[in-house]
Amino acid sequence: MTEDIISLIRENVIQGRVTQDDEGLDEGMVGRPGVTELIEKALAMGIDVRDIISNGLTEGMNLVGQKFEDKEYYIPDMLASAEAVGAAMELLEPHLARSGIKPKGKILLATVKGDLHDIGKNIVTILLRGAGYTVKDLGNDMEPQSIVNAVRAEKPQFLGLSALLTSTMVNMRDTIQALEESGLRDKVKVVIGGAPVSEEYARSIGADGYGSDGFQAVAVIESLTST
Amino acid sequence: MSTSSIRNEFDIDTEQVLKHMGYGTDGVPSARIESLVKEYADNICHLIEPSYSYVIRDINSVRGSRVFIEGSVTFRSNIIAQLLEECQKVAVFVLTVGGRLGEVVRQLSGDGLMVQAAVLDAIGSDAAETLAHVVQDIVAKEAEAEGLGISLRFSPGYCDWRVSQQKMVFRAMGVDTAGVRLTDGCLMIPQKSISGIIGIGSREKVESYNPCLTCNKRDCIGRR
Repeated sequence: MTEDIISLIRENVIQGRVTQDDEGLDEGMVGRPGVTELIEKALAMGIDVRDIISNGLTEGMNLVGQKFEDKEYYIPDMLASAEAVGAAMELLEPHLARSGIKPKGKILLATVKGDLHDIGKNIVTILLRGAGYTVKDLGNDMEPQSIVNAVRAEKPQFLGLSALLTSTMVNMRDTIQALEESGLRDKVKVVIGGAPVSEEYARSIGADGYGSDGFQAVAVIESLTST
Repeated sequence: MSTSSIRNEFDIDTEQVLKHMGYGTDGVPSARIESLVKEYADNICHLIEPSYSYVIRDINSVRGSRVFIEGSVTFRSNIIAQLLEECQKVAVFVLTVGGRLGEVVRQLSGDGLMVQAAVLDAIGSDAAETLAHVVQDIVAKEAEAEGLGISLRFSPGYCDWRVSQQKMVFRAMGVDTAGVRLTDGCLMIPQKSISGIIGIGSREKVESYNPCLTCNKRDCIGRR
């Protein structure tokens, strides 16, 4: 029974169905329980939260990532799955500490000074939460000094910086410099992302990593977590 | 034509919207995404507040990659210089579909409704493109009245024309920027806005100019 519920959660993450009213990628799914109904049922049955997250949500999202990489899934399909994971994590949040589940790490995310684009950052936020990290979204148009202050106060293991324009991505460099000047650079790993950014640019400004899309951002942070 | 009458003429190209969202020529969207795009596209009118402004300026001279425009405006770009060298005048424009759509996108995104946010954002981009076509047609008619033709549209960020050159585009516009504001980082507010230029000159010279034809960047999303 436990295995059935977990596999249904996984399947509904892949289908991107938050509630029973949602259509899936496949037809004829309306009316069947979605991720939120299944999570509530799983919690009521006393199924281990760890099991729900790793074998249901994370495994489902890994399969979505694979489909995205294979070009079987497109951005909206991936977003629907991320939405389902986001809704599931909200329901699970109060149960995490009680179940003794520790987050893999703490991450601050910000869109840099001068830039207001945040859809990409919001996707990364959901994917990282689903992967077991505590994420604090600092918002948009963030001054380097405000980011430095947040890093000092929150003491995260990671800082994710986002920008969509060539004219604002230069503020990623300023933010990293501000971290250096405040003596915090070696306390936090910096990962950057956004349309104009590249691996090469990340290296040139002294970032620790670059994520070309949401899944890559999670993969890079996972790999830096284990180093 | 007034901008309020334009609002009711917005015909969103759902194929372009899907292209914006990552479906290339081969991608087939799910029925759910297709119906969501159609639903938003059909109901876009109450979310947009179209506005545009354009000026037609003389080109004083072209030297290397610099183009000197009346009003102490200098455009710097090889591609733009090559174009404007062949032109007699340049139309400089700014347009927007307003800030309301962006506010709704932010609300949806903040509520975790990422699919709706992404679809509406892509539709907003297409609405701005649609308005750009309207402006282009108006400039074309004005040019035609003088027996001239117009070039393709170019915006800062295209080819080698840096985004920071938005400042020059806005300087060329003068005081009327259609309600669009430029930040220090050269981001236009509201975000669903387009600024740029259209060259005006003899038909045979300006209408054939397309730098994409000799460009090797095959994966460029702006390829024409």
